[in-house]
Amino acid sequence: MQNRLRYKKLFFFTGLLLWVCVANSAQKQSLHEMTDKKLAPDFVLKDIDGNEHRLSNYRGKVVLVNFWATWCPPCRDEMPSMDRAYKKFKKAGMVILAIDIGEDEDDIFKFTADYPVSFPLLMDKDSSVIRQWAVTALPTTYIVDPAGRLFYRAVGGREWDDDALIAQLMSLQKK
Amino acid sequence: MFLVSFFAFDAHASVLKGVDDETKLSFWEWRSDAVSIRLVQRLPDQSRAYFMARKFTSEHAEMIAQSCVFQSVFKNTAPPNKNYVVKYDLSEWRVTYKNKEHGLKIKEKWLNEWQEKNVPMAAQIAFEWSLLPTIQRYHQGDYNWGMTMYALPPGARFDLHLVWYENGIQAQVDIMDMQCGPDIRLEPVSDF
Repeated sequence: MQNRLRYKKLFFFTGLLLWVCVANSAQKQSLHEMTDKKLAPDFVLKDIDGNEHRLSNYRGKVVLVNFWATWCPPCRDEMPSMDRAYKKFKKAGMVILAIDIGEDEDDIFKFTADYPVSFPLLMDKDSSVIRQWAVTALPTTYIVDPAGRLFYRAVGGREWDDDALIAQLMSLQKK
Repeated sequence: MFLVSFFAFDAHASVLKGVDDETKLSFWEWRSDAVSIRLVQRLPDQSRAYFMARKFTSEHAEMIAQSCVFQSVFKNTAPPNKNYVVKYDLSEWRVTYKNKEHGLKIKEKWLNEWQEKNVPMAAQIAFEWSLLPTIQRYHQGDYNWGMTMYALPPGARFDLHLVWYENGIQAQVDIMDMQCGPDIRLEPVSDF
């Protein structure tokens, strides 16, 4: 009788442990840490307001460089969470540069009516910048560390305001 | 019961066929514990509209529309504690149609054609980034959406042989009796 009770408890707690593992794995937002951590290719691009941004001017900060386009569904999906993360951590030094590929100001202005964001939207109209980065699909995001190195990469969208993900990014600022 | 269902889910990779919630078109999907590949029909009319809005002429948009386009989603779904790298090369995928086998019409073939036909650069850029990459490598949590093209007429039924690599080990699956989107025009849905 005692044995049966012990097995029941064991069965219950094993099930609970597995459920917690599965639930955590479903929610976890992961970034791939680059093994070689090469220097990020520098660029100078204008944003939709006409301001120029040079990547190397952001040395000393963690920079999230996101390649996207207005017609790309997963790019659109991740924009609101990226904006929430930016609003929360801008004061802590977070920089986001979202680089649109192959479109112009008009396309992007229309997009911002539905997806308003507060970080700069840059334009790589002739796709010359994206070709210097190891990007094969949109969206792709690189996290550039304060030393200007490619530290993490995400292929496809993420929930950027995920606490664990933010902690991972902001820990680079302290290194 | 919980343990049984948990392990049963993990052990049984399978092909699902159904109707996509958003597009109301047919999809075929392969799922295992590390990989998910979902192929959703696109109607020729959707491709015409999409590419003409991106500076393609009607003649060139028609070429794409008649090529059997699928919206494709490839994901590395391995749990975070598994260091799984998934890789594929679309040039290894094979299409069987009327007992003859051929490859997909990949991005590089199309781009050569667009250059020969002097398609505007903006259109070529939109095309290039709209397709699923020909070769891709996914770490845990990575995924892409993109179009794949099968060089078949609208409505054609075919079998697809898919190949990919999980930590360097080849995996493959045959999806039987897929169907290209038929050349029909969908009426706008009224809210009234």
